[in-house]
Amino acid sequence: MAGLKDADDFRDGEHFKGGGLLKFLLLGGGVLFAIIFIVLAATGGAEQEGGYSRSGAMAYSWLFAIVFFLTLSIGGIFWTLLHHASNSGWGIVVRRMMENIGTMVLFVLILGIPLVTVPTFKEALWEWIPLKAALDEKVDARYEEGAVAKLKGEYEAGQKTAQSEFDAFKAQNLADQAKARPGAKMALSDQLAKQEADLAKVTEHDLSEGALKEEIAKEVYLDHHDGNYMLWKKRGYLNEGAWTFRFVLYFIALVGIIYALRFWSVKNDKDGDPKWFLLQRKWACGFLPFFATAWTFLVFDWLMALDYTWFSTMWGVYLFAGSALNSMALLILVITVLMKVGYLKKVVTPEHYLLMGRLLFAFTVFWGYIAFSQFFLIWYANITEETRFYLQRNAEFWNMYTILALVVGHFFIPFLMLLIQQAKKNLTYICTASAWILCMHVLDIYWIIIPERGPSLTDGGMMTIPGAIWYDVIAFLAVGGIFGFFFLWRLGTASLFPCRDPRLDESLNVVN
Amino acid sequence: MSENRTTPFAYIAEFGSAPELYHAAEHVRDAGFKRWDVHTPYPVHGIDKAMGLGKSWLSTCSLIGGVTGFLTALSLEFFTQVMLYPTVVQNKPTNLSTIPAFFPVMFELTILFTAFATLIGLCAFIMLPRWNHPLFNSALFNKFSDDGFILVIESRDPKFRKERTREFLEEIGAGEIELLEA
Repeated sequence: MAGLKDADDFRDGEHFKGGGLLKFLLLGGGVLFAIIFIVLAATGGAEQEGGYSRSGAMAYSWLFAIVFFLTLSIGGIFWTLLHHASNSGWGIVVRRMMENIGTMVLFVLILGIPLVTVPTFKEALWEWIPLKAALDEKVDARYEEGAVAKLKGEYEAGQKTAQSEFDAFKAQNLADQAKARPGAKMALSDQLAKQEADLAKVTEHDLSEGALKEEIAKEVYLDHHDGNYMLWKKRGYLNEGAWTFRFVLYFIALVGIIYALRFWSVKNDKDGDPKWFLLQRKWACGFLPFFATAWTFLVFDWLMALDYTWFSTMWGVYLFAGSALNSMALLILVITVLMKVGYLKKVVTPEHYLLMGRLLFAFTVFWGYIAFSQFFLIWYANITEETRFYLQRNAEFWNMYTILALVVGHFFIPFLMLLIQQAKKNLTYICTASAWILCMHVLDIYWIIIPERGPSLTDGGMMTIPGAIWYDVIAFLAVGGIFGFFFLWRLGTASLFPCRDPRLDESLNVVN
Repeated sequence: MSENRTTPFAYIAEFGSAPELYHAAEHVRDAGFKRWDVHTPYPVHGIDKAMGLGKSWLSTCSLIGGVTGFLTALSLEFFTQVMLYPTVVQNKPTNLSTIPAFFPVMFELTILFTAFATLIGLCAFIMLPRWNHPLFNSALFNKFSDDGFILVIESRDPKFRKERTREFLEEIGAGEIELLEA
């Protein structure tokens, strides 16, 4: 077949230069908005009408911005891992871009650290943190007033009484047995054994300090008026120490995975030694479970726990589906922009667009499937603990929002747009679809986080915080600008495609 | 195997490799033949372009099937469960808001009808349910399922001429050529 491309012609790769002004603008804009955000958040401690503080409202804005850009980079990690794990050949030329998007996870997570460390932020976002802190304070107060010693004294006194009562009973019982007829004697000895077992229960009660403390804590947590049964049951998972520690683990896992893969991939660019390629393939399969676990639990900790009483087992998959879909949309847009300014022109063909468009279509359907399944299971089961999430998002303003943005905008429109095969080879068309999907994803993440803001901050008093949308915009621009800057910088640090990958030939000449 | 096998059915030509067949297909396409086909042991990428085939209409069949299935399920459920005999389940409304409950059936019927339409459409396009085909009488043709790259030009083609077509096939690099009579 005529016109086959030879990978040897592409050995030196293409290096991204320029973007200097844009980089400067993005960083300048991002930092400017970040400063505005910090100033507003730092001075927003005063209580507004309705009982919320501006800093609290802004915590949600920051979480929204961080999670949106986090999903993009998570998708980048996923596509890189999937590419290696499935031993794909078609996408070698776009794989470096997946890696570039994936490595942004480092910067986004660093920007997200304030959420985990600043007390104003985390107490506004995650209600369980202040609630649990208050309960723990009560428990500590009980400890300080000597509740442990008191309880121990009570138990010991109880044990003493029980022992003496038993002794008396035993003496009487033995005396009775001596007099009784054989049948009655047996009944009496049974009675004695039963009493002895009851006594053992009392005397063998654990009186160690740890056990007594636990008992007191349980009493406080299960108090009918001020206690919290959920927090008692979930204390092993939802407590600040474990929660912060888990964040460190997620950070190490997600950043470590993508940086290792990209490191080997760039090494391969230099010497073309296939061992780097094999290393990536081998490790990608091992990384996959860690990646999936880290992301699933990260969204449990950050998003599902926005309402600690609510749970959905679909949650991790739901966020994952959105991430993969939108990372692919971003990938298509980035590749197209690079081609428009003169890079990758000989490398990427409409065939690659068709393949990426298919994945975009597949994940549009996957997202719709997961989103609907999550809703459907909760809707028809109609259990109070679960329906809260959707009730809140179907009330007032959010009802139309859910229908228009998610059902129509996020699923039906992209579904119909991407259904046509030829359209996926048309650059303008597929880029329009990708941009549309990205915009809808912003609305999706907004829908996940922001409806919690009003009710959480005002104790159910307000559905939405007036004017808070501007904080969301500022946070989005701040994180977006910094994200864009680092992305452009990242583009320049290596060739735009893995130029000495052993299977570059296969990818260059891919035909559907 | 009747006695008067005198009408030619097709020329069967064997080529040495997939690229050779690919280029031969381009020549046949440019020569303006209409009733012809290629047969290979494995799928050859881009052969549809070399043969000048347009986009298949099969996807249209699938689409029609899908839409039919979707509307069938929608109307079936809506007319029976909402309009004719409203069924209240778990105190859920019986109006347009009941629609989430209908989605699984709509989804299933869409897929089922799409699959049927695709299969039936495919069979119709390639005229599949048939007992036999004259090409099966040729030993040369049967090599396509082993190591042969076969090009067949049928005599139904308006450009088919007994001598000229053979010369043409030789010209474009065919190895063994057989005139199959039926």
